[in-house]
Amino acid sequence: MPILLQVNNLSKSFRIGRKWFNQKYFTALEPISFEVQAHHTLAIVGETGSGKSTLAKLLVGAELPSTGSIKLNGQTLQPGDFKQRCQHVRMIFQDSGTTLNPSLTIGQLLNEPLQINTKLNEEDRHCLIRETLQKVGLLAEHMNFYPHMFSGGQKQRISLARAIILQPQVIILDEALASLDPSLRSQMINLLLDLQEQMGLAYILISHNLGIVRHFSDKIMVLSKGQVVEMGDTAKILSRPKHQYTKKLILNQRFQLLHR
Amino acid sequence: MNLLDIRNLSIVLKSATNPILAVDRVSLTMKEGEVRGLVGESGSGKSLLAQAIIGVLDEKWHVDADRFHWRGKDLMRLSVDERKAIISKDVAMIFQEPMACLDPTMTIGMQLTEAVDGEQLTGYFWQKNQQRKETAISLLHKVGIKQHKICLKKYPHQLNEALCQRVMIAMALAKRPILLIADEPTAAMESTNQGQIFRLLASLNQLKNMSILLISHDLENVTHWTNTITVMYSGQFVEAGTTKHIFEQPFHPYTRALVDSSPKSNSGLPAKSRLMALPGSIPILQHLPIGCRLGPRCPRAQQACVIAPKVTNYHGHQFSCHFSLKGSY
Ligand SMILES: Nc1ncnc2c1ncn2[C@@H]1O[C@H](COP(=O)(O)OP(=O)(O)OP(=O)(O)O)[C@@H](O)[C@H]1O
Ligand SMILES: Nc1ncnc2c1ncn2[C@@H]1O[C@H](COP(=O)(O)OP(=O)(O)O)[C@@H](O)[C@H]1O
Ligand code: SF4
Ligand SMILES: [Mg+2]
Ligand SMILES: [Mg+2]
Repeated sequence: MPILLQVNNLSKSFRIGRKWFNQKYFTALEPISFEVQAHHTLAIVGETGSGKSTLAKLLVGAELPSTGSIKLNGQTLQPGDFKQRCQHVRMIFQDSGTTLNPSLTIGQLLNEPLQINTKLNEEDRHCLIRETLQKVGLLAEHMNFYPHMFSGGQKQRISLARAIILQPQVIILDEALASLDPSLRSQMINLLLDLQEQMGLAYILISHNLGIVRHFSDKIMVLSKGQVVEMGDTAKILSRPKHQYTKKLILNQRFQLLHR
Repeated sequence: MNLLDIRNLSIVLKSATNPILAVDRVSLTMKEGEVRGLVGESGSGKSLLAQAIIGVLDEKWHVDADRFHWRGKDLMRLSVDERKAIISKDVAMIFQEPMACLDPTMTIGMQLTEAVDGEQLTGYFWQKNQQRKETAISLLHKVGIKQHKICLKKYPHQLNEALCQRVMIAMALAKRPILLIADEPTAAMESTNQGQIFRLLASLNQLKNMSILLISHDLENVTHWTNTITVMYSGQFVEAGTTKHIFEQPFHPYTRALVDSSPKSNSGLPAKSRLMALPGSIPILQHLPIGCRLGPRCPRAQQACVIAPKVTNYHGHQFSCHFSLKGSY
């Protein structure tokens, strides 16, 4: 199967300390390399602060990497080239439900990326918006609604719609499924699996819920303090973790389930 | 005596052409010291109901109820101001969207010290300011904010959503309410930190006998923390009963579907297989089905369902369905 995403020596340090003579660096992500094939899902797990969101932001280009390169379909993604990246690599953020522009209707909100990134005419755009809304469990009528007219969970669905409307090749889900209600979460997982089967999408799934990780992903990467401690087949690693840190993560979750 | 007793509460979205019945005759009772879950899919009117209880809906909405008692007092007979005074003294709410509910022009410190309940301060008036501040700091520690110094000086927009939510929780607790309405209190937090908040609420319930109405769409999570559960769908009452009954023997097809779609019941499935989910989505307010609003999605629906079912009470377990699953256990 073709390799869709290839990451080489990617790392990120943040500068801390404000004065120029007192500059310190904090390494959020040590250099890492990995590949993701089409039709595959890579799960990233790790404690809070282990650098998961940082990696995700580097991949979509929301942060500039300190070192390393990212290749999509063999082509290097230039750090500044947003147009190409916007279309092919999409991300659903941790708290995306709350970041919708309040002055735009949902229709306008979804129209925007289409106008910028595609050559579709108005009618086709309208059709596509309608279809996408239905896919995420909303209705075509919702197009004329403003964000404040939606309940909290419905806003999550809108950000999901915004991510899949450009039919990207890679979607990064940063805790995006966590705040959906379970019935929609099941629907959404089914939808994402369908899309993957039909269009060969690759997913990068950042999640604390090992149940979802087990069900959804092919490969898993375990991060701790910006370093990869273990990477490999999901089923293998979850059933026979080698590293102490992975064992602790799995135990922790079992404990949470039993003793809440 | 019930703490809160609401019978057939309706909420109408006023409009010149056709008013919309967003919440349709929902009943809710809470006993003293009870932790009740209010669950239902996104958009089923949980937040609306909560906002109606504490009276913060704006004039677009009209609220009506057959009965609305707070600690034996009939609130429907009181004037709006009297009602507000009673409720705001005894009831606190953690709002779902914390950023929007904090005052953007005041620092967290100012808002939080202002929220501290004056009756719990014991010193002379010149000591009270200091006491307020100390209470505020200890509250921040309780909700898991360790760097209180930095946090107190910030304005809401300088904090991220998860921190705002914690501040919101601290502010709700500062009033030392008799009833706490927690609307998705941990939605903005990472799932590893959620247990901490739920444990805090559970301990306040045990130590201070604070009643809690816990609103969430995650039925499975709610079952860990509650004694009783009320389920809603699309503004209608679905089912209410003890947590055990609701999770293990639901009588209503909608509750059954919620239970079946919980991660626990799906954990035995092979990887990448499709999960069980109720087809379709919740209707929009402008096009509500007549009768039972679950009708178009319900696997048991029949002709009779175009007439809204009445609430049946079976040994304290209430449900509203013509063709319930009661006989199938
Ligand atoms: N200002 C508004 N104008 C029009 N419709 C609204 C408004 N606020 C809410 N609604 C509608 O009322 C219904 C119930 O909303 P509510 O916020 O109570 O849902 P909820 O049950 O709290 O959902 P969630 O779990 O997502 O928070 C939704 O269909 C929503 O679209
Ligand atoms: N803009 C930033 N400036 C400084 N430090 C940051 C910034 N963004 C993230 N960090 C730090 O990088 C580390 C990893 O963060 P993050 O990737 O968000 O972790 P995760 O998503 O795994 O919880 C954290 O210690 C965080 O404090
Ligand atoms: S009344 Fe009818 S449509 Fe409604 S839940 Fe019962 S069987 Fe389904
Ligand atoms: Mg993160
Ligand atoms: Mg809500």
